[in-house]
Amino acid sequence: MSLELTSHDYVEYINRAAAKIASEGEYITELDAATGDGDHWTNINSGFKSLVSIGDDLAKMPIGDMFKKIGMTLMSSVGGSSGALYGSAYIAVAKALKDNVSIKIVDIQTIYCEMFAAIKKRGKVEAGQKTMIDAICPAIEVLKKAGEDCYSEKETLLMMKNAAIDGAQDTKYMEAVRGRAYYQKGKGVGHLDPGAVSMSMLIASFADYCIDKISV
Amino acid sequence: MKKIINSPETVVEDMLRGIVAANPQLALAEGMSVIYRKEMSKKVGLVSGGGSGHEPAHAGYVGRGMLDAAVSGNVFSSPDPERILEAIKRADSGKGVLLIIKNYSGDCMNFTMAQELAEMEDIEVDYVIVRDDVAVEDSLHSTGRRGIAGTVFVHKICGAMAETGGSLEQVKAVAEKTIANVRSIGMALSSCTIPAIGKPGFALAEDEMEIGMGIHGEPGVGRCKIMPAKELAEVMLDRIIRDFDKDGGIGGEVSLMVNGYGATPLMELFILNAEVGNILHEKGVTIYKTYVGNYMTALDMAGSSITLLRMDEELKSLLDAVVDTPALKGGA
Repeated sequence: MSLELTSHDYVEYINRAAAKIASEGEYITELDAATGDGDHWTNINSGFKSLVSIGDDLAKMPIGDMFKKIGMTLMSSVGGSSGALYGSAYIAVAKALKDNVSIKIVDIQTIYCEMFAAIKKRGKVEAGQKTMIDAICPAIEVLKKAGEDCYSEKETLLMMKNAAIDGAQDTKYMEAVRGRAYYQKGKGVGHLDPGAVSMSMLIASFADYCIDKISV
Repeated sequence: MKKIINSPETVVEDMLRGIVAANPQLALAEGMSVIYRKEMSKKVGLVSGGGSGHEPAHAGYVGRGMLDAAVSGNVFSSPDPERILEAIKRADSGKGVLLIIKNYSGDCMNFTMAQELAEMEDIEVDYVIVRDDVAVEDSLHSTGRRGIAGTVFVHKICGAMAETGGSLEQVKAVAEKTIANVRSIGMALSSCTIPAIGKPGFALAEDEMEIGMGIHGEPGVGRCKIMPAKELAEVMLDRIIRDFDKDGGIGGEVSLMVNGYGATPLMELFILNAEVGNILHEKGVTIYKTYVGNYMTALDMAGSSITLLRMDEELKSLLDAVVDTPALKGGA
């Protein structure tokens, strides 16, 4: 069957993503302690916990409203720069999908393109500057290519997942331009960007959820 | 971790309740982490804030002659736009509001988003970004310099200008002038512990210190063996003076702030202050006003920062103006 997610499904994904983030506390905190101040996981974990706590409400909302609510919730509960960036990203998606009744494979490209553009604008960053968009950007490339080359949905999702994970790994070699890693002598080179890693976990969780959904 | 707290999750709200309990002239917007003056006067509103953990910044500077509202995020984490908007509303008396932002990516994003939200509600808002930390290379294509203890001078001078009835444009202009003339550098002897994390963010050996350390434990310009206060004062001042040299020199008269990072005894701050004073005297630089104390801290970090502000007549009179806040009082 082809992919079609409702708000209810997206909330199920959020629950899975929240569990994934919750289980990676030590790893993400350790990454952040190397280049930042070590609070990235605490903040993002509290954001996803907040989303889980309002899951029942989110599941009943139209797609656009749900994304807006997710954005507003992350903005206030994550705080810091990640809160502003995640908030802006989800609110941009809400605008783009305001008339959608479901999320199909083509919409996934829209979701990540909107997030990419919103984070770029808000954070004044480009791809390759050691930030969370370095996980999103390769995922978008794969989605575009998969659309042109007519891969199956499952193949597409798997490729998207791997591209996001590889993208996050590539931040190891990048120099930071914004944020706290920038203050380090080596601009964080040699260390993974924790924001890109957590973003790649979210994209991977989303791909896994979608694959499970179409494999039923 | 050994701290006087109830739980790591509630440190900010618990602290803010303690601040208003000690200062009946201030009020707390519950759930919003905003501290504001109960009595508003018709003037340009001044708002600052940022992550918590830098106390008395910024809630301690709310009051006559300084800020009208301060907004607190989680420890070392910027507050969200909704909270900042609340602070803007509390500070607005119809003459516009100036946001004083320390230059960190998160604060710049959240404060400018709040500015957009406030403008949608027809509140005139402008902002300035403080970037006084000479440990970081100034640059246009990156985050650039951090805002640290020099921010307190910006609060004081803007606050005085606003009290005299200055327009938003005038208050912003004097803020920019202060920012252009203020330079700081920090140093750390130990790390600090964010309550929610529970262990120190980095480690410095027993005989080590780090010059240029930021107020969140961000790396400085380098680690070295601990040195006597006299030498330390030389090393730190040298950085600031070299930076002034790129922009017209240190000039003949400065105000000085020797700031503690939270866990350094006043005894040590006064020792550093004496050495800084000697060096400036030898260089023929007059110190107009000196501030020694914990003005912009980094939780329980041991260490200090030195801030110099080049003075002129306008800045002198604004620095001298009456101020009555929990953390800074004085003036005729």
